Amino acid sequence: MKRYAMVIDLRRCVGCQTCTAACKSANATPPGVQWRRVLDLESGEFPDVRRSFVPVACMHCANPPCEEVCPTTATKKRADGLVTIDYDICIGCANCIMACPYDARSIVHEPRYAYGSQPIASEAARADDQRIGVATKCTFCKDRIDLAERTGQVPGRDHEVTPACVNSCISGAMHFGDVLDPESNVARLLADNESFRMHEELGTAPSVHYLLDQR
Amino acid sequence: MADNAGTKRVPSYCYNCVAGPDFMKVKVENGVATEIEPNFDAEQVHPARGRVCVKAYGLVQKTYNPNRVRTPMKRTNPKKGRHEDPGFVPISWDEALDLVADKLAAARAKGLIDESGLPRLAVSLGHGGTPSNYMGTFPAFLAAWGSVDYSFGSGQGVKCVHSEHLYGEFWHRAFTVAADTPHCRYNIAVGANVDVTGGPCAVIRHADARVRGYKRVQVEPHLSTTGACSAEWVPIRPKTDPAFLFALIHVLIREHGLTKLDVPFLRDRTASPYLVGPDGLYLRDPVSGKPLVWDEATAHAVPHDTPGAVPAVAGSFRVTEAVAVDADKERRVYRDVAGATAYEMLARHIEKYTPEWAEGVCDVKASTIRRIANEYLEAASIGATITIDGQVLPLRPVAVTLGKSVNNGWGAYECCWARTVLAALVGALENPGGLLGTTVRLNKTRDNRHLSVAPGEDGFMVQYFNPTSKEEWQTTPATRNLHQTLVPIVGNNGAWSQALGPTQLAWMFQGERPDDWSLPMPTLPDVWLVYRSNPSISFWDTRHLADIAAKFPFMACFAYTIDETNYMADVLLPEATDLESEQMIRVGGTKYMEQFWDYKGVALRQKAVEPQGEARDFTWIATQLAKRCGLLDKYVSAINKGVAGVAPLKGDGYDFSLAGEPSPERIWDAVCRVATLTLSEGREEHGIDWYREHGFYTVPISRLEWYLTPTLVRQGLRYELPYQERLLRAGRELGRRMHERNMNWWDKQLAEYQALPEWHDVPARWIRNLEKSGAKAADFPFWLLTTKSMQYHAGGNAAIAMMGEIAQNVRGHTGVIINAETAANLGIADGDRIEVRSHIGATYGRATLAQGVRPDTLVIIGQFDHWATPYAKDLGMPSLNTIAPMSLDLTDATGSGADIVCVAVRRVEAVAA
Amino acid sequence: MTTPARSVERIAPRRQGNWDWRAAGNFIAGGAGGGLLANATVLAVWLGLDERLPLAAGLVMIGIGLTCVWFEIGRPWRALNVFRHFGSSWMTREAYVALFAMCVGVVAIVYGTLPAVTATGLLGLMFIYAQGRILAANKGIPAWRHPNCLSLVLATGLAEGAGLLALLAWGASWWRYPAALLLLFCLWRLWAWRRYFAALRSDGAPSGTIKAFGDMATMFIWAGNAVPAALVFAAVLMAVPLLVALAGILALAGGWWMKYTLVCRAAFTQGFALPKQPVRGKGQAGPAVKPGWQWSTWLTR
Repeated sequence: MKRYAMVIDLRRCVGCQTCTAACKSANATPPGVQWRRVLDLESGEFPDVRRSFVPVACMHCANPPCEEVCPTTATKKRADGLVTIDYDICIGCANCIMACPYDARSIVHEPRYAYGSQPIASEAARADDQRIGVATKCTFCKDRIDLAERTGQVPGRDHEVTPACVNSCISGAMHFGDVLDPESNVARLLADNESFRMHEELGTAPSVHYLLDQR
Repeated sequence: MADNAGTKRVPSYCYNCVAGPDFMKVKVENGVATEIEPNFDAEQVHPARGRVCVKAYGLVQKTYNPNRVRTPMKRTNPKKGRHEDPGFVPISWDEALDLVADKLAAARAKGLIDESGLPRLAVSLGHGGTPSNYMGTFPAFLAAWGSVDYSFGSGQGVKCVHSEHLYGEFWHRAFTVAADTPHCRYNIAVGANVDVTGGPCAVIRHADARVRGYKRVQVEPHLSTTGACSAEWVPIRPKTDPAFLFALIHVLIREHGLTKLDVPFLRDRTASPYLVGPDGLYLRDPVSGKPLVWDEATAHAVPHDTPGAVPAVAGSFRVTEAVAVDADKERRVYRDVAGATAYEMLARHIEKYTPEWAEGVCDVKASTIRRIANEYLEAASIGATITIDGQVLPLRPVAVTLGKSVNNGWGAYECCWARTVLAALVGALENPGGLLGTTVRLNKTRDNRHLSVAPGEDGFMVQYFNPTSKEEWQTTPATRNLHQTLVPIVGNNGAWSQALGPTQLAWMFQGERPDDWSLPMPTLPDVWLVYRSNPSISFWDTRHLADIAAKFPFMACFAYTIDETNYMADVLLPEATDLESEQMIRVGGTKYMEQFWDYKGVALRQKAVEPQGEARDFTWIATQLAKRCGLLDKYVSAINKGVAGVAPLKGDGYDFSLAGEPSPERIWDAVCRVATLTLSEGREEHGIDWYREHGFYTVPISRLEWYLTPTLVRQGLRYELPYQERLLRAGRELGRRMHERNMNWWDKQLAEYQALPEWHDVPARWIRNLEKSGAKAADFPFWLLTTKSMQYHAGGNAAIAMMGEIAQNVRGHTGVIINAETAANLGIADGDRIEVRSHIGATYGRATLAQGVRPDTLVIIGQFDHWATPYAKDLGMPSLNTIAPMSLDLTDATGSGADIVCVAVRRVEAVAA
Repeated sequence: MTTPARSVERIAPRRQGNWDWRAAGNFIAGGAGGGLLANATVLAVWLGLDERLPLAAGLVMIGIGLTCVWFEIGRPWRALNVFRHFGSSWMTREAYVALFAMCVGVVAIVYGTLPAVTATGLLGLMFIYAQGRILAANKGIPAWRHPNCLSLVLATGLAEGAGLLALLAWGASWWRYPAALLLLFCLWRLWAWRRYFAALRSDGAPSGTIKAFGDMATMFIWAGNAVPAALVFAAVLMAVPLLVALAGILALAGGWWMKYTLVCRAAFTQGFALPKQPVRGKGQAGPAVKPGWQWSTWLTR
């Protein structure tokens, strides 16, 4: 039994958007679609101002409201915690987009390219009609997690089976692993530090945890 | 996305900005580059654990951008200008190379130097020397050529940390200065935006330090990304940083006193004990000419290097006999003269700069300044030690770091001096935890700054100032920015010294010159080559600069896309870009910014995919140009000497010398073999195929290489601090030379040569400048500043669509940052289109409201306002560069300026044409 | 997410852009249609009136609404997949209710049997309820998930249905009965609206939501509810059926405008929040932040 989670140390994050770019690169998302991004949040009033950076994406909730509302069962929650979308079933009704309190999903109705109406070579190489007209979002790099099941590698420890954003993070803010394994990096970080989950009051039980301070 | 059968991963590096190089892999699917990934093979040797920053992820789109120049082109419209369509038409490589080579040969036939004594060939290269990591063997072509003018800057001097380069290298061989972040506990960052500009190495180190519990206090008018990641933000009034730093010194010296400071360091490693006479010059031993110190053991003045002497750090003493040496070696003899130690001079000098005084200047509470100084002193833990590789060193985990616009332009000398003095006072200069230099550029050798340390005058390190004596002063400038004539401290170490001269003068003096100009008239170069550089965007008064660029008689540009500078070109040469070409560079050791590693070695950038269109590998282009200019032998000889990078191709026990017309493959194979052999001390030899598979080769180094102080200790040398007698003298001599030729136009700058810098109203210089032009200061009530962006900084990537998209997640990338209260008072809402106007022009963008910016300050990120670069020209982004004037009044003694201008702001419905 | 143009919208709640007038059309036409089925059934059962025309009209309205949605979804040819998740999706349930309503409604129209008519009316009511639950299940839109939203959706569906019935009754002898229903449901809607909007403001909502509702509130209260109620009174007192038809139109228009506002204009996303700003090195944690909600004013000024 595994339950994958992401732990993001907000003390470290510098808002550089490397994870945003790595995600776009790894998942070939079209212009304007960001499965993950880093928020730039400010609080207080001059001169007592604080500003911080908060990476957000699909939170792979344990109680995913997107899954509940999905009329087609395209959105599913896996036993290992991943919330997935079956592109072959989804009708693109966008109900899940409305249900998600994390602004994590998007639908693109027409192919979009970086430069005008024609794809550049890298876009053409990875064009995927499946993704047109259906809901898409962060998958926790599902293919890598599935590869780990086959190879015995450990997501979060072995780079080949770790989400691209976590691999790319230059500040060491992002961590991934099996939160049920007390020896995993994520479990240890959660044990040692004060953390919170975004909009927890909505009962979604997200799998993304943010560290704010040491305990 | 999942791999398929045709997928491979190609190791390479990114060195787009000076904070590199960093490792990466290029994922190639069926011959198409599709992704950039970290190179985890380098996780153990690379401080950033094999990661690259966000910019590198744009390289795939950079490769396939349909707006690239894909074939050589020539201009068909002889008229040049912003409003003249160049009429570029595709031509063959043969024709293009012949066109350029013919112009070069014609210039060469007339002589390398023209009638004004200036090189006929000028070359402009972009950001911080990083183009050399992409231009293959082109440096060998330039070396084969001979005299080249590198002084048409693309931003250096005004966009770099210029004074830090010059004074940093002078004081502690620190072309770039960094905190020893892995050991630091307290960092006062005055505008230093290291979490944006420091690259992955700095980002991870500072993140580790935060989690470890270090404190960084960010002192800057706008809450930058780095400010956001700091424990405290001090919103200081723009350009008043020297006052803040002076007040810190005041608290340390006048409120805590010498006993709380690092007395042994001040006594033995600085010139603090040197006695200063009544004329402000060192009192010297009449026989040896050496500066005197007061020996507490014998109660006599003795030469500074007298064995067994215990020099007094503070105090004033009577000296029976001494001499002082002034400008032009004028000697004055003193008898029974009072001599105060340099430290004593500093203590007297700093007395008036109290925190209360600074509060009025900086708009920072005196209590805050005092608290920060106290925290700094406490964190310095004077007396503590650390053992590194068996050697016990002082541990002084405090550093004051400076950012762009603080450490360049007026006020920068004061800031650089003050922060280095702050380090020296607590013994943190070049000691673990403290303030470090990480590389040298104005001294040799580039790869090891310790080797540049040798005994010089007066117990200090040797310095290579440009001469200011009557006999040797350069009256016929060798470059168009007059670097040897005007800036003694910049020295004359080839292209680096040139490029760090007053680069705006090269541009300004093509238009107007001062009335009392008595130097030869500056000419335009016969041929101008430009690579990875777009001064018509990245300099100041950019519209005007583009007009000047249009006057150059012949211009050939290595071109990625059409841009605002190459719009004036006669020939465009498309070079194979980052993922399409091959080059080996050095990595590790200690380099720019926070690139100090536990390893050193080499890395290969390799052709991951075929070049787009007719783009060609730079090494091939360089070879072809050399051949067509008849310089092949000299070019190959330069490669053999190691000019293309890494090491000479012939050395002890190996010889890979090239001859004839070597192919790029052959050249880099030789370099690869030499690199491995020299690094492994003969144990290993790997050719280019090995590197294509493995990417890099490194060997461990000791962390002791990070710190210069042990080297000074070994050589018995002192840092030239706190008193600046040498600079004072150089300034006096330079002044005499200028005045002898009836030139007074550099007088304001000459005033900067002070032994102990005084506060002068730095912001007022900008106000006076606009008033001089006939404008009213009241009409321009705001300060406009810039701040850097990790997404764009030095990336040459304004045309990359993905970068534009993701950068907008970071505040300010959609326009102008303005204080929310100020905006409300002006009726400006978030997203409103606004005009930001200086006395020379206007720039337009959308307002981004924020609390984290002073009410009197606006901030524009990066360098935009493109009008020719495809994609970028549609971004609608404003730029300070469009409206910042170039002016002698705003040029400091080192020849640099700062990114700041007085502006007005208003909401506009539509943009005026 | 799909990147918005204004920087503030990247952190603060922003108006959802995935459900436009086509989705709103389902709530507008389908809601009114469901309401019409329910109202017509009440009168048919109560008074034995001829229910065929209103039932047909109600079914057509539901059909129009679903057609609107069909034009909105990304993969229209897979539309039947909508029936796959009865277990928890109110969109699936809405689809089933619509399907049953169509089948039973046709039976009711053709045969006019009381059970069929009653079932059609109940299905109409269930259709509105399902729509309310669709909105309520959308946790990403604070204006929808508010517990008081459901009763407002029900009330407006029934008021709109009554309004439609009042229109259909114009010229008929039984015009006073729909008038009574219209009065009843308008007053309920008014109460539900005031309760909903007051709760939104006191419980907290994105400022954009508050502003969008604030912009329409007065007009909705008066022109959409109070005036129709007054017209009904006047019509009954003065025996002028035209005034009831007019009241019906106003109630219908008011409800539709309110629902368009609810589904499109006031539908702001949740945005993001931090319980406190993280500790940066040896500093202190900073205050909480929740940009774009009604108490954070400067960002959306």
